This record gives sequence, structure tokens and C-alpha cells, in this order.
Amino acid sequence: MSATAIVIGAGINGLVTAHYLARAGRSVCVLEANPERDAAWPDAGAIDPRVLRDLGLDTRVLSVAAMEPWITVPLPDGGRLQLHHDIAQTAAAIRHIAPRDAERWPAFCQRMHDLADVLLGLATAPPPDFMTRQPRALMRLARVAWDTRRRGRQTTLDLLRILPMSIAELLDDWFENDTLKAVIGAAGVTHLHQGPRAGGTALVMLHQHMGCPAGVFRPPVSRLRRALAGAAPGRFDIRYDATAVRILLRDGRAAGVVLEDGEEIEAPIVACSLDTRTTLLRLVGPDALGPDAIQAALAIRSRGVTALLSLRLADTPDFHTLFVGRDLDYLERAYDDAKYGRVSQQPWIEARVDPMVDPMDGHAHVHVHAQYAPHTPAAAAWSDSMREALGRRVVELLQDSVPDMPAVLDMSVRVPPDLGRAFGWPRGQPHHAEPALDQWLFMRPLPGYGYGTPVPNLYLCGPASHPGLYPLGAAGANAAATILGRAD
Amino acid sequence: MTAPDVIVIGGGHNGLTCAAYLARAGRRVLVLEKRERVGGAAVSEQVFPGFTFSVFSYVVSLLRPEIIRELDLPGHGLHILPLESTLTPLPDGDFLAQWGDHDQNRRELARHSLRDAEAYDEFGRLMYHMAKAVRPVLSMVPPDPLSLDPRELRRLLRLGTHFRSLGSDTFHALFKLMTMSAADYLDEWFETEALKATKSASGIIGTFLGPRSPGTAYVLLHHYMGEIDGVFRAWGFARGGTGSVSEAIASAARRFGAVVRVNAPVERVLIRDNRAAGVVLENGDEISAHVVVSGADPHRTFLHFAGEKNLPDDFVADIRRYRFRGSSGKVNLALDALPDFTCMPGNGPHLRGAVSISPSIDYLERAYDDAKYGEFSRRPYMDIVIPSMIDPGMAPPGNHVMSIFVQYAPYALNGGWTDAKREAFGDAVIDTLSEYAPNLKNIILHRQVITPADIERIAGLTEGNIFHGELSLQQLFFLRPSHAWSNYRSPIRGLWQCGSGTHPGGGIMGASGRLAAMELLRAGE
Repeated sequence: MSATAIVIGAGINGLVTAHYLARAGRSVCVLEANPERDAAWPDAGAIDPRVLRDLGLDTRVLSVAAMEPWITVPLPDGGRLQLHHDIAQTAAAIRHIAPRDAERWPAFCQRMHDLADVLLGLATAPPPDFMTRQPRALMRLARVAWDTRRRGRQTTLDLLRILPMSIAELLDDWFENDTLKAVIGAAGVTHLHQGPRAGGTALVMLHQHMGCPAGVFRPPVSRLRRALAGAAPGRFDIRYDATAVRILLRDGRAAGVVLEDGEEIEAPIVACSLDTRTTLLRLVGPDALGPDAIQAALAIRSRGVTALLSLRLADTPDFHTLFVGRDLDYLERAYDDAKYGRVSQQPWIEARVDPMVDPMDGHAHVHVHAQYAPHTPAAAAWSDSMREALGRRVVELLQDSVPDMPAVLDMSVRVPPDLGRAFGWPRGQPHHAEPALDQWLFMRPLPGYGYGTPVPNLYLCGPASHPGLYPLGAAGANAAATILGRAD
Repeated sequence: MTAPDVIVIGGGHNGLTCAAYLARAGRRVLVLEKRERVGGAAVSEQVFPGFTFSVFSYVVSLLRPEIIRELDLPGHGLHILPLESTLTPLPDGDFLAQWGDHDQNRRELARHSLRDAEAYDEFGRLMYHMAKAVRPVLSMVPPDPLSLDPRELRRLLRLGTHFRSLGSDTFHALFKLMTMSAADYLDEWFETEALKATKSASGIIGTFLGPRSPGTAYVLLHHYMGEIDGVFRAWGFARGGTGSVSEAIASAARRFGAVVRVNAPVERVLIRDNRAAGVVLENGDEISAHVVVSGADPHRTFLHFAGEKNLPDDFVADIRRYRFRGSSGKVNLALDALPDFTCMPGNGPHLRGAVSISPSIDYLERAYDDAKYGEFSRRPYMDIVIPSMIDPGMAPPGNHVMSIFVQYAPYALNGGWTDAKREAFGDAVIDTLSEYAPNLKNIILHRQVITPADIERIAGLTEGNIFHGELSLQQLFFLRPSHAWSNYRSPIRGLWQCGSGTHPGGGIMGASGRLAAMELLRAGE
């Protein structure tokens, strides 16, 4: 069998790359190791606007859902804070607990949205190459600088100043209220092996904010992967249960893929959405790489820190998305545990009622993000009793925060090694390469390679590549643009 | 003296350097220092009879060679003595030593890790290349990246060309160095915990971050800068303490005709028609001058001396946002004998170098954890030197002075600093060090404990930050101390800045003072 392009991995980015290559007339074959199935979890994240514009996805399947209010937080002295899409409504809610913060809320939302918008512009194109000598790429570099500058002094300045900052410093500049700072602060450390006082966490908050409406610091959810897979028939083939074990090389160039059962599929272009270390060190193999590339692949930081829990509740709880984490120190202390290889005694958690599961039986499905749960605890590897203990802790936190918390009927707890196995997240890290300044733009995932690799005709199209996990599908779309730009 | 052309507020090493260059160019310069001696945070004082201490800053590492040369500082008594080794005692009784001698150093590293011994030279080479790449930036006035002025654009382009000329590998390595955490960066190279911790400690000095926070790696470069300059090895002492650096610069300034007045605390800058017109001293005296240059930190310069009402609101907001967060203290000890380290008993070459209490990255992080929540570190990071070993004049015969730099000691301590807290902090330092040198408590004659609050009170550094503001990425280069005013000027015409709160800042470097003077002269002020 042969194709003109093979894409490894039918995740969001792999499918987006396949769609774009197919649209350009390539005959594309997507290889997915897992059987055809629906993820239990909705896809969280704003979607790359190009994907929505170009790929003609069925919006009913896609079913983008924005939570309203986007977050509910219990207050330390009883009562709740609810933050809404409407900036004025949120400001009114904040006014009850912190009048000065309420005054600043609209300006903060606008500033952050402006900055996220600059980043979105950078995210939805291959990263500018600072070292390039090609006139076209130099022009692009100049255009990026100009586009940024054009947005005004304040935005450019904010960008330079804020990117290296800690989210704690940024929020201290704006707000006084601890609860409010914790809610926004959590967006700066989501899935990150850092606490809110670490440099670069402001960037992580903005990264997640890209493509979201102003004033909403949690991404929407959708069934993007399902919609992308559903739109494949007639455009390209997806082969499930097809595990790639090796990338075929011919004269040092990628020439196809070998499957687990020995079948060889040839193609002049291979795009891989798996994580970079797996792609290069396992599928290509160190022999075909230089020492520098091996070193660069090994140096990529990807440390999973999140446990994901799925709870079935006897009844619908009285929140859409509930955040538990008192203040920035609470988040920082939760991180302190992880820093020394322990599961947080007091994790910060976010519980979200799945908007896409119809509660036919009167039950509610709730997904909980709990942080920090390190991939490799220092004392002992993850065991079922540790998973259960974490599950109990999370349920306790929910019960403490929700007066009439419905009974938990059953629960599954997945920790980073489980998530790694289920979704191919390296060490349980969904960003593949942690979002940080040194793993940003042209540094991501292999400094200076863009979507290419040391192996000609082999491309990387997963979230390890620029811009990372968010906005959803951007890495896949950029990779396709690079592949088509080079091939044409 | 006839009316001065220029008044320099503060006789710290940057103020004096600026004054010396201005005087050399023929300006009539008056330096006003509030204390009874020059030096600011680079002073030597006989705190206890017969015992002289570099009270605050204690080593000379980055003093720009062009300043030493152009001001002929050796001719004014500056003599730098090398500080070649670093000993890191370990809790298990072992140690890690870094020696000045290459082969000896390699043997010692190999004892801990063959791989690290192999990597050490390559690491050194890469750092040397990067230090060379960054060095020109230390001697340049930051360009304004937002300006559309052709001169600024040209300067920006020149800077871009400089970095592009490095080649991809060096550029990418430099990008990583500038943005990573010291711990992550060193993890890519080494496996010996004590080596990684001791090296990364330089990245946390003067900041309120732990070694695992991004933005702490680039200070590693500083250690390699000194080597390129080739004037002395990476670190050194000034004979007579760091005060003699200030004295030498002051002497050079006087030789060029500058007047240095001590016991002359400034109350405020005189401003007429949005233009600096001189200063008013605390005793009410008014001194007129066309130009006032402040060596004080941005907070004191603008919010105290110049006054908020004379400045634009957004600039005031910037200065308020500029972060100090002093995080370190100092313990100075007068000893009647040498400390005896368990890991390396008796006298020896290790006592002529630095001793670093930094056994592991986790140790440093735990020290930081205490500070994050408003306490001083119960078991702090310490950088210790015994200057009397190299410069016997610092203590009476047979006795010694020991200087202990301590981090973390947060300025904003829970409940605030009191005399009792200061002593408790001193006790924590002595107790921790005694674990490595058990005879310490028996040989202490006197001790002086300095908290960030003391640094602020005595030397006038806001929040006790030794660098006039944290050296974090967002407070460097054209953002130090505030965008558009990183060119040593200020929104008030005729009021200039020359302290460590301007580019490049940090350490006894003098670069800020020199660049400010050069820029001032270029502007024809």
C-alpha cells in the first residue's frame, strides 16, 4: 500500500494536518494505534480559527460549549464568587468582595485579551526564524515585528514585560482579592510543573487565553476530535489499530512507515503527531540522528503533574465549573509537594459538569482536574491505593466546598502514567513539551527545526511543535503549511 | 568650590564612577554622600576594634576592566587578590571542591562523577562563548525597541545583527540560558547535586526566586565574564575590603577635580519648570546645578528625591511596579581562630577561597520555601569568605574576619524585622554553619547581623535589595528601571540616573555609572 503522505496519530493535530494535506490533493493515510472510540473527555481549548474556517466541520458534532458562568468559586467566609462571560456582570460580582478589583476588572480583561491576540497571531503561523538568511523569511520577521508594534506601545511593552513574569507578580500588580487571584493564577500553572511564583507562568496563562473571549480565563470545550474524524471519509483514510513501530528511511530520508504486524506503507512524506522523543528516538532510532539532535530531544521538558478524575454523581450539582483553591499560596503549597516528588496534600481542583453527556438516568458526569500529581512520585510508583487516596481527597475537597454535594456513585482516577498510556502524553504532559519561554516559538520542540526534523521528509505535527496545545489544531495546521510550502 | 555643573547624589561606586568620568571630561562635579564615608554598599568598616569588614558586598567580580584602566584604579590603591576555589561541604561529611587548578579540579569532579568531569570543560567553553556574545551588551546604552527614531532603529538593527552573527547553535544556547531555570539548565549538563546547587546559587542571589524558577540561569554567565576580561580570575577580594574599590574610584574622581562631600544627605531634587535645578540638603542648604545625577535606586530617586507630583502618572506606576523584594542578609564574624570544617579539617587552601553551603538544589528550594511564606530560611544558603586569610590587615594577628552572605531573608518578614528577629536570624545562620564547622560557636568574638531592613536603613537601598531592584528578565536592559527611561535620563530634564537600577546593574561593576556619564557627555549636558 502507498500514499503520498502518512500521518501518525489521529489526535486533533494529526487529523488537522491530514485534512489540510488532503485538501491540497495529497492522498493521505492516518495511522492510529488505538481502536476507533470516543474519548470520555471533551476537548478543552479554543479552536484555531483557520480550522473552523477551512475544514467544513459539522458544527452539531463539534458542539462547542462555553460554560456560563465560566467558573464558580467558594469564598472563604461562605458564599460564592461566580465569573461570567459578561465583563460588567463579573465586575458586579467582584464588587461585593473587592470594590477596587471590580474597578480594574474590565481594563485587565482588555489588556490580557490584547496580549493573547498578539500571541494568537504568532500561534497561527509557523514561528518566525530569527536566524534565517532567506529574504522571504526575513520579510516575515520584519512583518511580525511591525504587526506587534502596530498594536501600540502599551501592548508591545506589556508583552515584553509580562512574558517572563510570574503569574503571581502580574496579578499582584492588578488585584487585591486572594480568591480572584487564585482563579486566574491557576490558569498560569495548569498542567505545569511550576507554582504561580515561578517566572514564565504569566505566559502560560496567556497561552491558554488565546482565542477565548475577553474576560474568560478558562477554555471552552468541544468535540473537535470527533468532528475532525467524522469529516474524514471521502477526504482521507484513518486506519485504527495500526501501530507505527518504525519510520522507513531510504538514503537518510523518510520514505514510509512500518507497522507492528510488519506491514510497510510507503510515502514520500511522513508527518508524526506523537511526542518528539518517541518520534525521533523510537520510530527513527538514534542511529539515524546526530548527537546534537539526540541531545535536543532528550532535553525537552515534559513533566506531567495532573490527575484527571471522572465522577458519576447521583444528582446534578449546583455548579458548571467549580474551582477549589483559596489563594495563590494555596497553589504554591500544592506545588511545593510536587517539587519534592509528592502528591499535593491539598491539591487545587477544578470540577466541570460534562455539558455533552445527557443525564438520561438523572446522573451527572463530572470531570475533575487535580493538581499536583507528579508523574513519578519520589517515594513509590503510582499504585491503586495511591489513586484511591487521591480520589478520596478530591471528593472531600468537593464536599467541603459544595454544601449539597450529590453522592458519588462511582469514580475513575487517572494519574500521569495512565494519561500517558491512554493519550500518548509523554510522562502525562498534554503539552508534550511544557509551555515555557525556552520551549517557545523557534525553540519548540527542537531549536531551529520548525516542523522539520534532522530526517528530511519527516515532519512533526503534534502539540510539541509551535504553538503547543493551544489553540487546538494550530500545530497541525502550521505543520501542513510547512509541508505544502516545501513540497510545492 | 564654584557652583558645580553636575551634582551626583550618592557616593556609591556607581555614583563615584560617574563623577570620575564627568570630571575627567572637564565638568565641575560635586558628589553628595549621606554617610560619613563613601562607598554606599561597597564600604569597609572597622565594626569591632581591629576587625575590618566589607559590611555589605564582599567580593569583586565584574568591575569593568575599562574602568580599572581608564581611571587608573591600581594607581589609586586598588589591588585585587584572587579568590580561586569554592568548597561545598556536604551533610554526610564529604565535600565538593572547585579549584582554580584545572587538573586538580578535574580529579575532584571525577571523584563525584566521571561524566561531570568530562562535561565540565565543554560547559566552560560554551559559557565562555556566550559570555563573549553578551559582553558587548554590558557596555551599551539599551536601545528603545519601540522607538521609530532612525538612530534607535539603527542601534536595534546592529544588536540584531550581532546576535544573528553568533550562528544558530550559540544563539539557541543563549536563548535557553536567558530563559531557563538554573536547575533545569544545569540538569542538562551535570548530575552531581552539589555541583548543580553551588553553580545555580549564583542565579538566585538578589532575586526572590528559587533555582527551579525560569529566569535564574543567565547569571551563570557572570562567572565566566571575569575570565574573559583577563584582569583577574572570576572572583576576587579588594585589599582592604570592598570599601577600597570605592576609595580608589573616589580618589580618581578627586584627581580629575571632582569634590566629594560626605555627611551631606540630600532631601530632595530642586525642580524648576520641569527641569532639575539642583538639590536641597536635609539641613536645608540649597545647591544649584544644571544637571543632577542620582546614584540612588529608582524608588528613592523618583518617589523620594524627585517627588511623584513632578512625574507623569504612568512613569510613577512603572517605578512602583519595579520590584525590589530584598531577599538576602549578611552575617559578619570576628573570630579568634580559624573555623574547622569537618569535611576538610584544619587550615588549608580551601579557607583562602569561598565556602558555599549549598549541598543540593532541594536544599536551596527549601530555603526559598521559608521565604515565600514570609520567614527567613531556617537553613539558608550561605556564601562564606574569610578575607583575613588573604589580606591579614583585616584582623588583628592570629584573628580572623568571616563574611557570610545569607539568602533567603525576606524584607517583608512576617510581623516585620525586630531586634529579636535579627538575632534569631543570626542564630539560624550560626547553627547551620556549625553543622559543617563544629568549632564555630567557640571562636566567635563578635558578630554583626545585617537584615534587608538594615541594608535599607544604613545604605539606603530600597527593601534591602542589593542590586537596586531584582535582576529578573523583565527588569533588565531596556526595561531597567522603566521602558523609555533606560537611557539614564528621566522624565525630568536634567535629572539623570547612574545607579545599579539602570542597565546593566548588579554587583560592584561600575558599568551603570560609566555608561550614564558617557551618555550624559554625548548629550552635551
